[in-house]
Amino acid sequence: MKDGFEGLPDLSGGPGERLLARGVSRRDFLKVCTGIAAAMGLPLGMGAQIAEAVTNPKRPPVIWLSAQECTGCTESLLRTNHPTLEKLILELISLDYHETLNAGAGKQCEEALKKSMQENKGKYILVVDGSIPVKDGGIYCKIGGKTVLSLLEEQGSQAAAVIAIGSCSSWGGMPSAYPNPTGATPVHAIFKEKGIKTPVVNIPGCPPNGYNFLSTVLYLLTFKKLPQLDEEGRPKFAYGRLIHDNCERRPHFDAGRFALEFGDDGHRKGYCLYKLGCKGPETYNNCPTLLYNDAGSQAWPVGTGHPCFGCSENKVGFNIPLHTPAVLKDVTPPVNFPGIVEDKGKGVTVAGAAIAAGVAGAAIGVAAATSKNLGKKDKDKGKSDPESKES
Amino acid sequence: MSKRIVIDPITRIEGHLRIDCEVDGGKVVNAWSSGQMWRGIELIVKDRDPREVWLFTQRFCGV
Repeated sequence: MKDGFEGLPDLSGGPGERLLARGVSRRDFLKVCTGIAAAMGLPLGMGAQIAEAVTNPKRPPVIWLSAQECTGCTESLLRTNHPTLEKLILELISLDYHETLNAGAGKQCEEALKKSMQENKGKYILVVDGSIPVKDGGIYCKIGGKTVLSLLEEQGSQAAAVIAIGSCSSWGGMPSAYPNPTGATPVHAIFKEKGIKTPVVNIPGCPPNGYNFLSTVLYLLTFKKLPQLDEEGRPKFAYGRLIHDNCERRPHFDAGRFALEFGDDGHRKGYCLYKLGCKGPETYNNCPTLLYNDAGSQAWPVGTGHPCFGCSENKVGFNIPLHTPAVLKDVTPPVNFPGIVEDKGKGVTVAGAAIAAGVAGAAIGVAAATSKNLGKKDKDKGKSDPESKES
Repeated sequence: MSKRIVIDPITRIEGHLRIDCEVDGGKVVNAWSSGQMWRGIELIVKDRDPREVWLFTQRFCGV
């Protein structure tokens, strides 16, 4: 995968006059940049580097292609509710084409698109939201009389990079759910089939967190390369961990305290939602730590009392039924894990490490048994639970 | 002789809307509006567990 961005405009130097004109103080602005650097797991000094890149007067052109979408991704981005940030994004980039936000319509905006594509050939960032229908020649989504399939080929092959925002463009999303009536296909699959080499970053989620998108854009602007991606093409800073691993209800899972139905005692007490079908254990995203819309603590699905349905995870969201329990990818640490604090005067010995490794191996078996036992405990309490029948 | 004007896409709305107008002597004599995108959500929710249908229908429109 190509990850150099020689094509992007040079972004060195330049004051943030536009920001000051909008009443954004230098201090506020640097705070935002440092926060973004921290969210991406970058070293502290990187905030200043991001600030420098984004205050450059040369704004990189962005073309936004809408395919089979619901505009939820755009909405979530616009409602990030960070008063400075939502203004910033409109000041930072030159959004040359966006169907929902363009002032002109019809011919006018199609011409703006054509002009930007000609002037910025190989330099613009293409953002795609929505899946691409390929069935019946792609007739299920058209803009200006052309299928989005042909538009994606044309615009994608000339872009510096493509950001697939949302689950639909990342892996097919809701339109690709069984029986996938329109042949909804993600961007990377179209590129692979057509031999288009433009790099694609996937920001899945339904909708994705606006800050994951913004952070990726700022990373591109600052370093002129893609952030580190996992094997699914997702930035590692955002999709590196399971939701289950960062969930505020994880202690309830480990202790075997579950909500068994909506509104029951456990549900009202904020117990783990695993048995209601929570897909946190198989979904990689940063929802529990980043939260949504700057609305304060618990502003994410599990925080509000609903199981995660794996909206951002390929083959999970819209594929596995909502109330089917998740497959556990990692195991609960068993009680016989080696101690973290060593006894006084002893370091870790080779023999000790070998024993620990053996214990960890055995632990997988123990944990598998433990997770089955969780069902038994609940049955003992006299609750009916279809899951426990298997154990 | 009437003239046909096509406005596609209609912007500042959600979705892919197209308007066709037939204009004769400076007057609109006929007009059509058409949605240019179809996902088949009706077919996707058919025979599904009703408890999870909201997941799909909720995504008709994200505005």
